[in-house]
Amino acid sequence: MREDVVRAGGLALSIVYAALIAWVYAQQPPTITHVTGGLASSVGAYRIDSQAFADGLAFFRRNQFVEARAAFGRADPAERDPVTQFYIAYSYYRQGWGRLYNDDPLFAEGLKRVNLAITLSPGGRVVLDDPDLRMHTADELRAELEAGLRRDASDLDPRRLFRERK
Amino acid sequence: MSGAREAVVLPLIFLTVAMFGGVVPGPVLQWTAPSLFSLVLAIMLIAVLVRTGALAPERLMHAGRSTLANANGFVVLVSLFAASAQALHMVTPGSGLPALVVGLIVFLLLLNTLVSSPDRRHVLRSVAVVVGSAFVLKFVVLASLADPQGSRTYRVLVALFDVATLGTISQEPIPAAAGYLAFCLLLLYLAGISALPSRLGAAGRSVVISRSRPRKSRDSPRVTSGSRAEP
Repeated sequence: MREDVVRAGGLALSIVYAALIAWVYAQQPPTITHVTGGLASSVGAYRIDSQAFADGLAFFRRNQFVEARAAFGRADPAERDPVTQFYIAYSYYRQGWGRLYNDDPLFAEGLKRVNLAITLSPGGRVVLDDPDLRMHTADELRAELEAGLRRDASDLDPRRLFRERK
Repeated sequence: MSGAREAVVLPLIFLTVAMFGGVVPGPVLQWTAPSLFSLVLAIMLIAVLVRTGALAPERLMHAGRSTLANANGFVVLVSLFAASAQALHMVTPGSGLPALVVGLIVFLLLLNTLVSSPDRRHVLRSVAVVVGSAFVLKFVVLASLADPQGSRTYRVLVALFDVATLGTISQEPIPAAAGYLAFCLLLLYLAGISALPSRLGAAGRSVVISRSRPRKSRDSPRVTSGSRAEP
């Protein structure tokens, strides 16, 4: 009886370990923090640091985007929270936006982050009711970032000088 | 073999090697799956272990065992395959002529061992020498040639060597932690394969499961004693 328990426990442990290996090689987490965060997230136990998130939000509203991203990074070190990733993407958008031209590397990074936010969100839907934002969904933000990175005739339209940052 | 060793210890050892054997440590972790050639070499290595008696698969999976015990045996075999592939991938240089040469040499050594069929002790020694030599070549010799921290003279000599060999020898720099990790994993792997259920039973008795027609007097596996001491 005792041997059966050991054998069953060993089998269960091996299956869990093998699943972990498959997950790690499929997801390719770049740091140990991402590994632990991903595992915690997969069992619904991942929580962001709310104080660091509040700090990030405060920086974001004061247009201190680099500081905001540092605080958001502390809040979500494993990059598993869609809302935090949305704000990080938005900070790249606002920092990279220009009346004459946009900063392409910042927009590209923002696009990467908003895509991550969409991937992380259940059903791919990220909606925020933050009144400080003029784009409340990840879909709008992604479309705006993609439009900013696109090269076409509208780049030469003089009316773009009168557009506003969202 | 005890249930704990078969169900817990061996799978954990082999799964640990399979998981961390593909990690390249650094600021950004890289998880590399074994190459196709490593899978072929792993199959050959398992064939060598079986043929030489270092692994007795009939002691892991057998019609006379319970379903649970057979499932444990299956896990041991699958994890052994994954660990073997990852261990061989880990000690093979990443690119260029060294990757080709090491792959070819390991293939020929395994083929030679498969044909010559030495006993369990010799094959374990042989595996240790093969993976140990490949480890030294990759993590000591080639890593020192790819070391970016050397003096200016050293780097000039390495650059000349690189030109002379048409760039086929030089490798990507390997983080120092990778060598230590690989060393620990190889020790773990060698400990794992030496703990596999072999055809040699305890106290130096060899357990032979007869495949010929059953004898009238005894149906159970024939046990002959005193053939060789267990290492």
